[in-house]
Amino acid sequence: MNPITPIINGLKITLSHMFKKPITLQYPDERPKVASRFRGLHALNVSHNKAKCVACYLCPTVCPAKCITVEAAEDANHDKYAAKYEIDMLRCIFCGYCVEACPVDAVRMTTTFELANYRREDFVFGKERLLEKK
Amino acid sequence: MVNLTIDDKQVTAPKTATIYEAAKLNGINIPILCHDSKLKPFGACRMCLVEVEQMKGRQIPACTTPVTEGMIIRTSTPDIVKARKMVLELLLLNHPIDCPVCDKGGDCDLQNLTYEYQVSANRFTDEKFQHEIDYNNPLIERDMNRCVLCGKCARICDEVVSFGALTFIDRGIETKIGCEFEGALNCEFCGSCVSVCPVGSLLARPFKFKARFWALTKQKSVCGYCGTGCNLTLGVQDNKVLTTIYDAEQGFHKGLLCARGRFGYQFINNDKRLTKPMVRKDGALREASWDEALQFVAGRLKGGNVAALSTARLTNEEFVLFKDLMKLAGSASYDHSAGYAHSALTKGLSRSFGVAASTATILDIQKSDLLLVIKTDAYETHPVVGFEINQAVKNKGVKLSILSDKRGKLGKLPGAKTLVHAPGTEIALLNAITKVILDEKLTAGTAASVAGFAELERALSDFTPEAVAGQTGIDAASIVQFARDYASAEKALIIFPTGLAYPGHNADLASAAANLAILTGKLGTEGSGVLCMAEKNNSQGAVDMGFYPANGGKDAGQILEDCASGSVKTLFVAGENPLVSYPDRSKVSAALDKVDCLIVSDLFLSETAAMADVVLPACSFAEKEGTFTSVDRRVQYFKPAIKKVGLSKSDFEIFSVLINLLGGQAPASPAAAFADIAASAPGYAGMSYAKLGEEGAFAPVDVKPALVAPAVVRPTVEQGKLALLVGSVLYHCGTLSQYGEGPMYVCPEGYVEISRADAAAHKVSEGDLLTVTSSTGSTQLKARISPRLPAGVVFAPYHFEAAQVNTIWSGAAVTWVTVGK
Repeated sequence: MNPITPIINGLKITLSHMFKKPITLQYPDERPKVASRFRGLHALNVSHNKAKCVACYLCPTVCPAKCITVEAAEDANHDKYAAKYEIDMLRCIFCGYCVEACPVDAVRMTTTFELANYRREDFVFGKERLLEKK
Repeated sequence: MVNLTIDDKQVTAPKTATIYEAAKLNGINIPILCHDSKLKPFGACRMCLVEVEQMKGRQIPACTTPVTEGMIIRTSTPDIVKARKMVLELLLLNHPIDCPVCDKGGDCDLQNLTYEYQVSANRFTDEKFQHEIDYNNPLIERDMNRCVLCGKCARICDEVVSFGALTFIDRGIETKIGCEFEGALNCEFCGSCVSVCPVGSLLARPFKFKARFWALTKQKSVCGYCGTGCNLTLGVQDNKVLTTIYDAEQGFHKGLLCARGRFGYQFINNDKRLTKPMVRKDGALREASWDEALQFVAGRLKGGNVAALSTARLTNEEFVLFKDLMKLAGSASYDHSAGYAHSALTKGLSRSFGVAASTATILDIQKSDLLLVIKTDAYETHPVVGFEINQAVKNKGVKLSILSDKRGKLGKLPGAKTLVHAPGTEIALLNAITKVILDEKLTAGTAASVAGFAELERALSDFTPEAVAGQTGIDAASIVQFARDYASAEKALIIFPTGLAYPGHNADLASAAANLAILTGKLGTEGSGVLCMAEKNNSQGAVDMGFYPANGGKDAGQILEDCASGSVKTLFVAGENPLVSYPDRSKVSAALDKVDCLIVSDLFLSETAAMADVVLPACSFAEKEGTFTSVDRRVQYFKPAIKKVGLSKSDFEIFSVLINLLGGQAPASPAAAFADIAASAPGYAGMSYAKLGEEGAFAPVDVKPALVAPAVVRPTVEQGKLALLVGSVLYHCGTLSQYGEGPMYVCPEGYVEISRADAAAHKVSEGDLLTVTSSTGSTQLKARISPRLPAGVVFAPYHFEAAQVNTIWSGAAVTWVTVGK
């Protein structure tokens, strides 16, 4: 093969890109379309105006990163609820085991991926921050 | 033994065993929901169905069928598995699937079996139960919707605890477990029903929703309350003791615990725990560094004129170090309240038996023919011993004779004979019984050769049943019959308690009891002897370690007198709260006020610690290692379950530093200290932490009997007044249980128990606030009207600071009081 040919072929490719629309996402001006099963920030599902979580402790039990802290308490009707539900996002590996283990469909993972922060404590998501916002 | 075949395996089993027991003995697991080794076979759940070849393949319950020679048994054929699956399906028909919220989740027999037998669907349908859940009780929650009707709760409450709070009510598909008249649970709250419940029907409310079973770290330990020496499994998470876990194979008591053992653990993580040392500056206790506090203490100890009082809750190793510290400080005056309470052991038993220890063990209770229980309701002072007595009487047919100044639960056991004597006359009564044995020649053949026989005979010449009858309030014929019953039993065991606040439980009571055993030869054999039950968890250890006055040292009473007179300048109080627990509050208060320097090491800022110049935060048993010796000299090792709370230190560490500061050489570790104990303490030879293991070991007792004539104090009777008895109440032990939420839920305050006759005479109603006045003071206590007290007698527990019972109780054998609204 003529040694010049590959160079010309390469230049052709380069030249063709000059006339194509760029595929780079101009984040943050442009937002990505995230797949619905993307494993981003967790959310606590709500039912009848309260968190569905019954504080069964299965999510902290299966969590391989040990990033979930649950504390159960008894409400006025003697029912069990999660007085504290906390996820340390600095430890979380977004494996989704917590969602799989949940027997009452109380926790899910959202498409929220923008979790950057300036302070370590801001990475700790408590119950209020995790509750499904309606 | 019989030979049989289980699952093609040739095995042997005792003749009395059931198929279930035979299989278990040989490592073959048969699933079951309604069985507990402490209970009689019941055969309710049908999970333990097995096939016996000789029974033509019929499926029979393994738990109620006794083994016979040559039986061929199959435990898991396809038919059996199918039957068990159906049993589970039927149980799950009504049982709610609320495992995520049920505290039993992870530790539930039904859940485990459902998983094991893969019951993921149900062929049947029915409605779930809709029983009302009983939340009324602060300690035990009853959700009968989850009940599988195994009956274990009702059976243990009846067969072991002997309370009978729970029973089957209604019939057929309406059957459920309930209380009398379907009311709320109102019992002793020992929690035995909770412990054996295989599902989540009965739950411990203090632990409710605190953690899941699988997340708990289980640490075996020894109970820190009374001297029974029960084993515990502490459930720990995040450095907090959250619960006690039932282990049916643990300890001689097979996992049984009393109300305080099961529900009284909260003091360990109580918010009021001391976490930093404090030194008094400008009249107030202020936080200080350990270095500052210990240097100050060492300086005071070097100054001389030192004495020490200790709780009997320290470990054996700590007692040895405390004693060494006092020796370095030049003092022989140290006591663990022996001067008040444990002279029965230190003086009484040592002069009668030549050893300051019981000759019998708790295990002898079920091996005896007759139990002579003196001045105790063991159900109250040592509840698990009470369970043992109950099982002996009900299951083994052991006879029970009780001498007491008030009736108790023991007296309700089948065939129990109770002689209720006038307060303070117990020694005269025992002497009269001894006299009958001597007069009727009911003595053992060797009795006459025992040292002191002639002197005793002479000393008891006036104690004829007729002479004593008037004084004690018991007729002569009953005394004679009592003596004959005791003497004629082949094996007989005498049980009596000692405690700081039990008047009359002194050296002479111990000698009077010992005389009976020695004279009749009921000593040194299985099921016989004397069992002296000291109050606190290591009272016997304190005695064995020699932490009581000897060689010119002074006892607790004398130490306080010396403090008041100024001859003791520095008093080191370790874990004790004499201001509440010692008799004669004004005297104790004056003594503590007068002393130049009061050093207190404690878990809490007790009333005594609040008066101190230096307060050292100490550790609970759950944070340290060491050994406790139970009332029957079972030496048991325990290790930490949690890290030390705050900056607290174990008393071992505190004493070690102080010994070093005083120029001595402390052992490097509790293990090293125990090695020294094993080399020097009688009976402890050859012991080590490794050898003690989980079972512990008995320190043998070498008895050299001698008959001692006990001194009898004739209490003066004050007409128109009531005799005050002071002692322990079931839910409490010493003053420590005041910091346990469980005991305080059930018994939150002091009270005065009064007979129905006296209540009527004084126009007292239940709950009335009574002013109780004695020659030493007066206090206000709520009235409890009780059928168990004879007329003329009142009882008050001593544990509570607010009740201030020791303002009216001076320590005399009988305190006469008046009551008024």
